[in-house]
Amino acid sequence: MSIGSISKIDRRYLYILLFIAVSIPLLSPLKLPIPIGEHAKRVYDLTESLTAGDIVIESFDFGPSTRPENYPQAKGHLFHARELGLKVVALAFWPSGAPIGEEALREVYGADFEHSSEYGQTVVYLGYVPGNEVGMQTFGDDTSTAKGTDHWGTSLTDLPLMRDECRSAEDFDLWAEWASGTPGEQQVIQFVQGRHGGPSAVPIVVGATAVSVSGMMNFYTSGQIYGILNGLAGAGEYEFMLNIGYGYPYEQGPSLDAQSLGHVLILAFIVLGNIGYLLTRSKGGKS
Amino acid sequence: MLYDLFALFFGVFVTVFIYSFLWKENPLSRAVEHLFVGWAAVYTLATMYDAALSQAIWGAERIEGGNYIWIIPILISFMYFFFFSKKYFYLYRYPVSIVVGIMAGMMICGMIQSNILAQIQSTARDLPLVGAGVWDYVGGSTFIQGVNSLIFVVASITALTFFFFTWEHKGVLGISTKIGRYVLMATFGAAYGSTVMARISLFIGRLRFLYETTYTDEAGWLVNAWYIIPIAVICVIIMALWMRSRPEEKPAEPAPKPEKPKSKG
Repeated sequence: MSIGSISKIDRRYLYILLFIAVSIPLLSPLKLPIPIGEHAKRVYDLTESLTAGDIVIESFDFGPSTRPENYPQAKGHLFHARELGLKVVALAFWPSGAPIGEEALREVYGADFEHSSEYGQTVVYLGYVPGNEVGMQTFGDDTSTAKGTDHWGTSLTDLPLMRDECRSAEDFDLWAEWASGTPGEQQVIQFVQGRHGGPSAVPIVVGATAVSVSGMMNFYTSGQIYGILNGLAGAGEYEFMLNIGYGYPYEQGPSLDAQSLGHVLILAFIVLGNIGYLLTRSKGGKS
Repeated sequence: MLYDLFALFFGVFVTVFIYSFLWKENPLSRAVEHLFVGWAAVYTLATMYDAALSQAIWGAERIEGGNYIWIIPILISFMYFFFFSKKYFYLYRYPVSIVVGIMAGMMICGMIQSNILAQIQSTARDLPLVGAGVWDYVGGSTFIQGVNSLIFVVASITALTFFFFTWEHKGVLGISTKIGRYVLMATFGAAYGSTVMARISLFIGRLRFLYETTYTDEAGWLVNAWYIIPIAVICVIIMALWMRSRPEEKPAEPAPKPEKPKSKG
């Protein structure tokens, strides 16, 4: 086989190679070093800067299809909020985000957290809030109008956190948006932050899928988004910082190793494919 | 507990079946694809129905608490069903126009403020080309601010000129559009890199499920997810052999063109 024929190799061989490259670090972690990016550091630092009792909105706006990226981000941030004594109001503007949010809360606050004494005082789960952008805007204007009950049907007037403290966006100290589409971070910027005093009044941090991060960088440079967790890598970086600060289990290490090895392999494919293409073209063959 | 075991089996089977698409599209991958779409649709419908009920009916400030204004949106939403009536189809347009009108009004205000004004303000504020310390190299991860600003200004202007079609792309405009094209290609390259990263992340998520998920019952009986992989793979192989044994399907003939309606005039 000549090097020129590399560009014509059956793609299924590449899939097998990728499968092997990704599997090796998952079965036997390489423990590669983790450089902490500026974007993830800003999410961590902003959360650290909050004081106990501040209100954080945790919005689970993603579905099962992006769970490997968004779930560890959200779970890590929930843990961080709990450690700092922040008051958490969790909700989902995506129907498919509601059970995922419930699962994350159960992992962090306990399997029976909705019956615990802290439920309604320091943590509330509203579940799915209908209306997409309209729901977001309404929630920012008046939380009780957006939804009258929590995820299990308890009236918000029976939950002190919602009744007395978290009435509108003026009461939010941080909006953590775990997003993978619409409605997502852009809608929060437009319909909550933009209507209630801008980035200084409602700071937003985003945990996003890697595919959507390049599209939100302009909001990051403008300060409308304070920090970003970029896909699985961002989740890993956040977990690493939590591990150092609070002993949080660093579970994404093997995933990041697999990610790195997969990328190296794809880069090698791109280089080889281009060499094959150039050689074929120099011999006058069809590109 | 039996539910957990079933979920484990089901998860492994659907994962292997959907990835069998990479070999070739086959009835198993198609079945799982349809299952996913169907379930997602049904789940979304049920959740939204439940949420609409809790939104309008249950709660102190809702119909339950004597606030009957919530009956109006319920009635308007029922007007969607006139879509199925030829005689009263026009009534279906009322809820649609209400939704479109509200969304247009909201989006115009929100977009102008957040996506246009705030972006222009930030671009003007954060791009210093002159001033104390702008061109000083600070070291470490901090790059020269002036160079960053210059790249940003040049990239923004040249990328915009690429979409300027009033004059032919020659001379200065030609050079600008060429640079703009490279800027756009770099942007698409970055987006492509992010896409690859995202797709591998999802693949890693499925592999971790296959390698790490376990089921243990009360008697201590342990089932690892990867025990089930060979069974699922055998199913795919049987499917592949069955597909090979079948005669190749002829490509479907194109549908006949619909006849042109006769004009009344």
